[in-house]
Amino acid sequence: MTTTVPSPESDAVRIGPPVPFDPELAAALDVIRERMPATFTAEMLPMFRAARAELPDLTDDEISLGGTFDVIERTVPGPAGAPEVPLLICRPASATVAVPALYFIHGGGMIMGTNRGQGMADVLEVAAELGLAVISVEYRLAPDHPHPAPVEDCYAGLLWTVEHADELGVDPNRLVVSGASAGGGLAAATALLARDRGGPALVGQLLLCPMLDDRNDTYSARQMAGLGVWDISFNQVGWSALLGDAQGGDDVSPYAAPARATDLSGLPPAFIDVGSAETFRDEAVDYASRIWRAGGIAELHVWPGGFHGFVLLAGQAAISQTAKAAVAPWLRRIIGA
Amino acid sequence: MTDVIGPPPPFDPELAAAIAIAGEKMPDIGRMLARGGDAVATARALRDEMADFLLDPDADLTRDGAFTVSEREVSGPDGAPDITLLICRPNNAPPPVGVIYFVHGGGMVVGDRFTGLANFLGVAEELGVAVVSVEYRLAPEHPHPAPVDDCYAGLLWTVEHAEELGVDPARVVIAGGSAGGGLTAATALLAKDRGGPALLGQLLLCPMLDDRNDTYSARQMAGVGLWDQTANQFGWSALLGDAQGGDDVSPYAAPARATDLSGLPPAFIDVGSAETFRDEAVEYASRIWRAGGIAELHVWPGGFHGFSGIVPQAAVSQAAGQAPRAWLRRILAD
Repeated sequence: MTTTVPSPESDAVRIGPPVPFDPELAAALDVIRERMPATFTAEMLPMFRAARAELPDLTDDEISLGGTFDVIERTVPGPAGAPEVPLLICRPASATVAVPALYFIHGGGMIMGTNRGQGMADVLEVAAELGLAVISVEYRLAPDHPHPAPVEDCYAGLLWTVEHADELGVDPNRLVVSGASAGGGLAAATALLARDRGGPALVGQLLLCPMLDDRNDTYSARQMAGLGVWDISFNQVGWSALLGDAQGGDDVSPYAAPARATDLSGLPPAFIDVGSAETFRDEAVDYASRIWRAGGIAELHVWPGGFHGFVLLAGQAAISQTAKAAVAPWLRRIIGA
Repeated sequence: MTDVIGPPPPFDPELAAAIAIAGEKMPDIGRMLARGGDAVATARALRDEMADFLLDPDADLTRDGAFTVSEREVSGPDGAPDITLLICRPNNAPPPVGVIYFVHGGGMVVGDRFTGLANFLGVAEELGVAVVSVEYRLAPEHPHPAPVDDCYAGLLWTVEHAEELGVDPARVVIAGGSAGGGLTAATALLAKDRGGPALLGQLLLCPMLDDRNDTYSARQMAGVGLWDQTANQFGWSALLGDAQGGDDVSPYAAPARATDLSGLPPAFIDVGSAETFRDEAVEYASRIWRAGGIAELHVWPGGFHGFSGIVPQAAVSQAAGQAPRAWLRRILAD
């Protein structure tokens, strides 16, 4: 267990005993806690962004995985009236035919992160294993760019990718949208947009510990208040940045918060994972459950004692290795590799 | 019920294809139940019909000499007959070894200590642990609490005779699939509430947990798959008689009825997305988490009840088969 001292605010919202962290993850969390507070306010955002900016993006060599991928950066048309959207395109150097692709949306709570961040490393690794291309989108961030800027950028980049599939050497019929945390929420939202606008047919949506519900009031959000990574106070900052005063109210679009969607039928097969000891546990389980109830296809994994982002932040733990290894078999089935 | 029930999730394509080919060999539980008649006669007909499906008489329980297999008659619950334990000890692991205490499936009405056991011996060999499989009495001839009390009695005997068996009483994982998963969960509740053996974990594969048989998934999958709402109704009625679905069902019969899921050993729970038990499995895991407990949950897309054992070669079955192995490795690691 960690030595975290929760704030009085988090004590006020807390319900139930918290789920204990996996012992290996608890040890990792103690280290994380030295550079990341347990609770968060909007005033801390500049400092937090600055600290995060010190975490290096992947180098060109890390992105090419030592030549495994040919890497191109392209700037493509954004949403109507909006700036262009940068895409980082990584194509298997050895590919001679059109390859399936992961359209990747980075995390960072809607307020941080880049399309070359550390979150790309695991994505590139699995893509290399399966011979997939990766297209990583640089979307505008809240609060500077509130909803719908982030998701519309993601969708615009997806449309461009499909329309330029030939040029990219990508099979437009084997495209998976993917993302972790805020990127998972944006991936789910992008899948909803694609369905509702008659957009690209996707073969899957890979939603890793996704940020889905702006109401920020699930049992797990309150149970884990003041604990772990990305507790209810962080989540409040992220959603408020994206939605302003609309956050948590009656009029939030499902393309901002996919948990608000009333119809989850007709979506591409989903892979959803989450830790049992994180804010997002219950909204992830609920999203999967609602897909099943609509007659849809979803694979769900809830990893015991996992804090938010444990696979990325504590990759060496046994539970992280197991969680990471669950993705490739799903992708193989989905893309027929 | 006023909710509009959605269409069933589709079966995984490989699973659907395998079912289409194997259709003739699959027991048609619905057809047998539709014949009506009294519960005992129906259960006997089910046992006859399912014998070929559930039992593999050629299974080599020694796994080519990796295990020494023996049977023991041990004390049952107070006033009840002795029970048989099938004990498989690994030959290449020095005692004391960890042990998987296995409770077979079969809807509370079918199966014996050999049913599904072979699936556990592979991982037991890999981990160098023993497997003890309990022969519990079946409903409807022996309604609740006979089955769970037999399971618990066998567990107590195993722990009390750990030294003689060469097993480590501090490294016991209880495990079962379907009705065996429900009985495993119930045995863990009994062990907690009676101050019984400390368990390292409970492995609940597509567990049968809720006698109310009224979840969204039970209704969504009615008439579809191997163990639908009608079959489930038969199993629970056999176990509980008129009490089934009422206000007075013990959590040791139907663990979903437990109001306190704190203080339980770490759980592994899996289920298919296209089966009756989906929602009760997800709910049981969710309630463990809400109580501050430890549970790993996997829901496999397009899986019907028991898919990984019935169509083991399918890719989704392979993935589903690996997950409990990884969990057991973590739980049983020295």
